[in-house]
Amino acid sequence: MDDAVAGASVSGARPEPRMTREQFTFTGTAREYFGIWIVNILLTIVTLGIYSAWAKVRRKRYFYGNTWIAGSSFEYHARPMTILIGRIIVLAIIIAYNLAVNFLPIVGAIIGVAFLFAVPWFVMRGLRFNARVTSYRNIRFDFVGGYWGAFLAFVLGGALAYATFGILAPIASQWMWSYMLGNLRYGDRTIACDPRLEKLYGQWLLPFVTVVVGSIAMAIIGVGIFFLLASVGMDLEGWMDAGDDAPVVLFLFAIYAAFIPFFLLFAVAGLLYRAGTRNVALNETIIDSRHLMASSIHRGRYAWIAVTNFLATIFTLGLARPWAAIRMAKYLAACTAIHATGSFDEYLGEIADSGAAVGSEFMDVEGLDFGF
Amino acid sequence: MWKASTLASDPHGIGHIAGSWLASGSSRKLPAALKITDGLFVRAVDDSGKELSRSLVGEIRVSDRVGSIPRRLTFDDGSVFETTDNDAVDDLLKLHRGSGGGFVHKLERFHPRLIIVVALVVALGFALYRFALPIMVEIAVIATPDVVPELMSEATMESLDQLLFEESNLAPDKRSEILRGFASLATLSPRGAAGYKLHFRGGGAIGPNAFALPDGTLVITDELVELAPDDIDMILGVLAHEIGHVHHDHSLRRLYRAAGVAGLILLIGGDIGAGAEDLLVQGSALLALSYSRAHETEADRYSVELMAKAGRDPEAIARFFELLVEKFGDGGDMDFLSTHPATAARIAEARRYAKEVLGK
Repeated sequence: MDDAVAGASVSGARPEPRMTREQFTFTGTAREYFGIWIVNILLTIVTLGIYSAWAKVRRKRYFYGNTWIAGSSFEYHARPMTILIGRIIVLAIIIAYNLAVNFLPIVGAIIGVAFLFAVPWFVMRGLRFNARVTSYRNIRFDFVGGYWGAFLAFVLGGALAYATFGILAPIASQWMWSYMLGNLRYGDRTIACDPRLEKLYGQWLLPFVTVVVGSIAMAIIGVGIFFLLASVGMDLEGWMDAGDDAPVVLFLFAIYAAFIPFFLLFAVAGLLYRAGTRNVALNETIIDSRHLMASSIHRGRYAWIAVTNFLATIFTLGLARPWAAIRMAKYLAACTAIHATGSFDEYLGEIADSGAAVGSEFMDVEGLDFGF
Repeated sequence: MWKASTLASDPHGIGHIAGSWLASGSSRKLPAALKITDGLFVRAVDDSGKELSRSLVGEIRVSDRVGSIPRRLTFDDGSVFETTDNDAVDDLLKLHRGSGGGFVHKLERFHPRLIIVVALVVALGFALYRFALPIMVEIAVIATPDVVPELMSEATMESLDQLLFEESNLAPDKRSEILRGFASLATLSPRGAAGYKLHFRGGGAIGPNAFALPDGTLVITDELVELAPDDIDMILGVLAHEIGHVHHDHSLRRLYRAAGVAGLILLIGGDIGAGAEDLLVQGSALLALSYSRAHETEADRYSVELMAKAGRDPEAIARFFELLVEKFGDGGDMDFLSTHPATAARIAEARRYAKEVLGK
């Protein structure tokens, strides 16, 4: 502040606002989270699932409470009972839907279409609930997105991306990010997010090329293996007819095994794309027209962490999951910052709660985040 | 990070916790300390010792302890005292309320005891899948009132008639021959002849097929009858197999089991990561496949028993599968084959069981 004043007196012009970099940090540890995670699972089993709502609150509180910026951490305020009720409602819907699909195929199809139109509403309410139960320095977030924004971002955008084999995916990403972040409010302050399409396409190129080149390479290898087996004279038909179930099971596993490289290819491409678009979206997010968000994920590093996390989780039968979750949270926090204009601490002290968000989460239904 | 300066005076020397204070609805953070007065009031005071807020010890709201995230104490007026000194807050609670960080937090702390928790989770998870899930499926099947399968079957029949099936063109005498044979089989099953109703339909797109709906409605297509025009026992063997599916409530069981597995993964999974969750769901789909094969074997055995009881050829179902293999090959793309795989092992098992039943 003193610097800014001094600068103004020398140049005589309007004081140039100083930019300060406020870094996100994550202070959770695998050691601490392991206990929370395993006890969550144990109590969920023992209570036949009822504890899962309390488990979710403890998990969220742990991750929010360990995410710090400018000397304060985030807070998660959802009440387990609200989440439990939401989950029971969602469970009832899922059961009813499955019964309908199995025994009343026509009604099931109609409900399926109706469900598609209900998805945006669920997404909207879910985002609003999550925003309203989150606070930072005693000030709640809020979400003001509407139904049609969610319809555009999640139903139409998803359909567009699928129908064009991912070629128009950046348009869907643009809709999604500007809906999710641009409708966020912090207290009485607005947040703007307008990721530019050409930048999203810049991040789309690498994953797209990865999928195309990788698929061609795998197809060539696959055909090569087939001809190799044929030339060796392996009688696949005779082997299939060998007489008992074992070949059928083996054959099924062979099909699964053949798909694994493709799954991996698409998974890695998806990770590269997700990391790239997060960078673009956050880098074009502005809080209250003056503080700039910044995200600098290294795409390769992100994909590496995600893939090794997955493998570690699988090979330890799940026990490495707490370590993996903490590792990812640490990395993402370290790659995220806010370039604040002027004194961030002073700015933060002036924000008032908008009032609308406080207490209203009790009327919201949560639990809608699972199943999508 | 903020720091609260130490206080000059603290008459009781206990319950002095450093942290920061925020007024209700305000983001302005003031360095503050928490003090207990007369063992009755909790007070937040600023650097100069001036009181910011006070509440009765019993009425201040304290957030649950989770790991070492900051603790929040909310006063009656909505203002908040925040501190990272979790242990001090626990001591204060223990002293004045008789309880500290709570049972769950104690369990969660990093301690050799967690090995027992892990072992319990593994054992309970296995028991849940192996024992509790089948029991839950059984209970659900028993608890399902008869009207539910009836409604479901009626609606399925209606929609299939609209979408797929055509009128049956079967000769009336062939039809009555099958119906007579079917009645003689159904009378011998526990539900009796009244528990089943056989329909004839033209298969349309699905071709030769036979299936059972959960309320005892059976459908056989003309195309299937025409596969074995001169061998009534083969047709009856297939129908006895379908009676077996109804008798064992297979469609309800499969439905409840699938719902149960999905529910277990969603609920207990909690936080296992998206990739691992997909893998579990895929794995359980593979397991479901073997589960439906077990149902087919069970229905085959039922066919053998019922046919023997009716004084007909118990090997008819095996002969029917051989006929299928002969006509369509092993891996034909017929719908009936994909749900009723006619493997050599299955045929051999049906024959073996038929001999066993006859030998009794």
